Order: sequence, then C-alpha cells, then structure tokens
Amino acid sequence: MKDDEVNKPAEQTAEATVPLTEGVYGKLLKENGIASTPLPESIGIETLEVQASAVPAAMKFLREQAKLNFLVAVSGVDSPDTFDSVYHLWSFSKLDELVVKVRVPKSSLPADKLPEVPSLSNYWQTADWHERETYDLIGIRYIGHRYLRRILNPWDWEGHPLRRDYKQPVDALNDKHPVSMR
Amino acid sequence: MTSIQSACVRKVKQKKVAIDTQVPEFKTDEMIINLGPQHPSTHGVLRLILTLDGEVVKHTECVIGHLHRAQEWQGQNRTWFQYQALIDRVDYLSGMFTSWALCAAAEKIDGAVVPERAEYLRVLVAELNRISSHLLWLGTYLIDLGALYGFPFYPFIEREKILTFFEEVAGQRMMYNYIRIGGVQRDPKASWFKKVEEFTKQFAQRIDEYEAIVTENPIFLKRTKDVGILTKEVAMAYGVTGPTLRASGVDYDLRRFKPYSVYPKLKFTVPVYNKHGDTWDRYMARVQEMRESNEIIKQVLDMLPEGEIMTKKQNAGLRVKAGEGFAAVESPRGVLGCYIISNGSDKAYRFKWRNPSFSNLSVLPPLLENRPLSDIMAIFGSLDIIIPDVDR
Repeated sequence: MKDDEVNKPAEQTAEATVPLTEGVYGKLLKENGIASTPLPESIGIETLEVQASAVPAAMKFLREQAKLNFLVAVSGVDSPDTFDSVYHLWSFSKLDELVVKVRVPKSSLPADKLPEVPSLSNYWQTADWHERETYDLIGIRYIGHRYLRRILNPWDWEGHPLRRDYKQPVDALNDKHPVSMR
Repeated sequence: MTSIQSACVRKVKQKKVAIDTQVPEFKTDEMIINLGPQHPSTHGVLRLILTLDGEVVKHTECVIGHLHRAQEWQGQNRTWFQYQALIDRVDYLSGMFTSWALCAAAEKIDGAVVPERAEYLRVLVAELNRISSHLLWLGTYLIDLGALYGFPFYPFIEREKILTFFEEVAGQRMMYNYIRIGGVQRDPKASWFKKVEEFTKQFAQRIDEYEAIVTENPIFLKRTKDVGILTKEVAMAYGVTGPTLRASGVDYDLRRFKPYSVYPKLKFTVPVYNKHGDTWDRYMARVQEMRESNEIIKQVLDMLPEGEIMTKKQNAGLRVKAGEGFAAVESPRGVLGCYIISNGSDKAYRFKWRNPSFSNLSVLPPLLENRPLSDIMAIFGSLDIIIPDVDR
C-alpha cells in the first residue's frame, strides 16, 4: 500500500462533471436567503455546502422550520484541500435526511492556525460534545463554544490525531516517552 | 385537619418566621468532589467532577476518554478486513450491532447485495445480542441500587445461554466478528436453531420471574419512581436515543421508523412510555423490549429461508468502492451510526462513529442537577451507558 494511494481524495472518483440540481432543502434555504451549494449526493441523500458564516442561521432554520430536529453527528474530515465539518441531520417526525458540509480551504489558513467554524453548542446541546470531539481529533476551532476543551484525549495532548499529517509523538509500547520519569 | 393540629402548624410557622428574622440564613460552602475514575458502579472508567451543596448535586462535569483506543484512527490505518474484526470491541456487550453498522455503511457505499438468509441471520443474532445486553444491564443495575443479595445473577443464567449460542456460531463469546461486509460469517447447524427455539419458549417466563421480584418491589419503586425525570424536549435536544428516549415518550425506533434489513417483514411493537420519563420508565422500556426481541426471534426462526449467506470474498484484499455514506442501526443503547468515506483502496479514508452512549451520557449533567448524591447511581445506571462505547 503506497502512501499516495491512501491520501487520494475520495471526491475525485465520484462523477462531479454534471451540473448538480438543487434539492428540496437547498431550495428551502434559498427562499429564506441562505445560500448553499449542492454537492455530489452521498448515496441518494441530499448534500449541501454552506458558508461557515451562514451555519447558525441555516441550522436554526433547518431545526425549527424544516423540522430536521435530530442532529445525528458532527464529524470532522481532513480532506485533501479542505477541512470539513459535516452535520448529519435527521428528524424525529419524518424520514428526510440531509448532510450539511462546511469547508474551510487549507490554502487560506496560515501554518499554525486552526480552521474556524461557528459553534452550534449554545443553541443545540447535541453539538456540545460532538464539537469538542471534532476539535480534539481534527482540530477545527468552533467559535463561540463555551467550553472547547479536549474530550477524548488528555487535556494536555499535543496535535490532532485524525489529521492525515499527524505524527505519533512516541511509540507507546516500545519507546520511552520524552517526558516520562522512567 | 383538626383545629388543634392547624393551630399547632400555625404556631410552628410563626416560630419559624421569628427565628428567620433573628438569625441570618445558614449557608454552606460548595464542595467539589471526584466520583471515579474508578468506581464500581460506572461500568468502566468514568470520572464525574461533582459540585455538591451538602448532599445535593449542583453541577456535574463528565470527564471521559480514559478508555480512548483511537478506534477511528485505527480504522484509517487498517485494512477493511482487519478493521471489521476489530470494531466489535467498541461496545463489548453488543458487538453484533457495531459490526452491523459498519457493514451496513460499507454495503451502502459498495452496492453489495446481502443474501436474504444472511439478513435473517443478522436479525436473529442481533436480537439475541439485544437480550443479552439488556440482561446484563438488569443485573448490574440492581447491584448499582444496592441489591447485592443474589438477584443480579438470575439474569446471568439466561445470558450465559445466549453467550453459548454465540460461541457455537461465531467462535467467541463476546467479540464475534460474525456479521461481515456482504453477509455473515458462517451458517449455524440445524441443532443450533433448535436450541435457540427452546430458549425462546422458556424466556418469556424468565422475564415474568424478574418482573415479579423487581418491578413492584417497594424499595425499587422508592429508588426509581420520579427520579431523574428526562423530558421529551431535553432528550431530543441532546440527541438521546434508544430505550432511554422511548421511556421519555418519543416513539423513535429505527427498526420501525427507518426500517432496514428484514424488519419490515416482522411484527413487533415498540414499547413507549409517555407518562413520566423517570428511571422506572427506563427500566420498564428495556424489560418490555426483551419480550419483543424474543417474539422477533421466534418469527425469524419460522421465516428463515434457505440460500447463500455471503456475496463478497472474505480475504485480505477486501475492498469497498469509493464514495461516502452514513448508515445506522438500532442498538440496545440507541442509534449507532457509522459515517464512512472510502476512496476505493483497501483502507477507508475516514471513519466516524456515532455512538449512542456518547450522546446519552451528555444528558447526565442536567439530570443530576439538584438531586441528592444517592440518586447519582440510580440515574446513571438507568441510562445504560457502556464507557468503551463512549470513548471508542
């Protein structure tokens, strides 16, 4: 297994040449003044890209008006060119599903700055722990989160382990840890 | 109330007012105390930082991650074939469901067709697994409440039988690796189905026995009735799922709401309790769910068709087509989802697990607020949280 094959983006293989049409929720958002771009559908499920600044308004609309009131997960993805914050929205009362993605291009980021996305945690309690997890593992800084602290790793851990360029600090089984007293 | 009694009450009230005006209100300092990380009732390694006012909990912070094994990282660095053997260690009480979520997402992306017999076998082992998971919860929950006298081991008798079934069909008692991408690992013998059938025949009676001991027990009622009331709105805002959500009155079960596999062909009811949403309701939701699972198993044994059980070759070169997808199953603890981004190679680009325990645990701080210290374990236990499932 070569490294470059692992790091190959998933999107390149999907057929994205055909101009995509807007789905139901894309139209709804447009009618309410929130711009969104349709992305190649993930197995028949409508997928939208929303600008980072529009996330709180879009989520508020989708939760209250569009009744997508079940935030299944907030995931972070270290894509080849972007850092993605992916929201899977379901509903407790209907069968519709929606995937909302926020993409922060890597080219616009200074070397030691984390990508920034507005937080939903003050408005939607599910997002609280999920955003902390994404911050911990992928390193997306959620602006406005009251307690953005590492949740799965120790509080003083360095680096974000699920990034593709992450290097393990030490081989925990075979090496001596640089700060250990052994 | 007689006139003498009311006069007394009035006198006491007057006296109290008089005292209050003379002495300033008695104030205590809040105390911060750690519960865990090693506490016998946390079923794993969970640390709660409690702010106590006397014996009343004012604020809770959950510190998780002590059992973090970087399962998502491991998924990105292991082949599909290796990872599907690894993943049922996440929730060790219901490994079948974790495998199933992974396989469902991978099959969705890959477009792999699962043979019908394999689907029925999946439902069969999954429902057996649901019963075994709830049985362990029932036993340990009674220990959490202080019933150390022997009841906790009654459910373990039945659980032991189920684990023996799994040992025979998958080779292991807890880490099965039975459900694979494209089907199931192997076809059980005819004698195995007979044993399961015998088990289902007597199991309903066993549940009656547990209920006779526990459900109307006055001590149990005192510890659980009106304790830890979780309202519908709070549960939905925190993304709570599973029996915990259904005990709060939301009729949301993926098996019926978004039917997957062969569940549409099976007849079963989903127990929903819409009165209180307290600890006792959560207990009842799980116990009734075991009855329903037993009924499902009976139906599956009758309906099981003949045929293939696997469509994909199970070897180290196992690959899944490029694409991304999210699939979820209803595990004993709630919606267990898996988000996969595949690039067509033998390793996935990204795995993300949506574990029910993770979201269910996040609702603990509001539930514990203003409850006495002794209620912590009654409430925490009723959420049925598995710490490895939280930490991954």
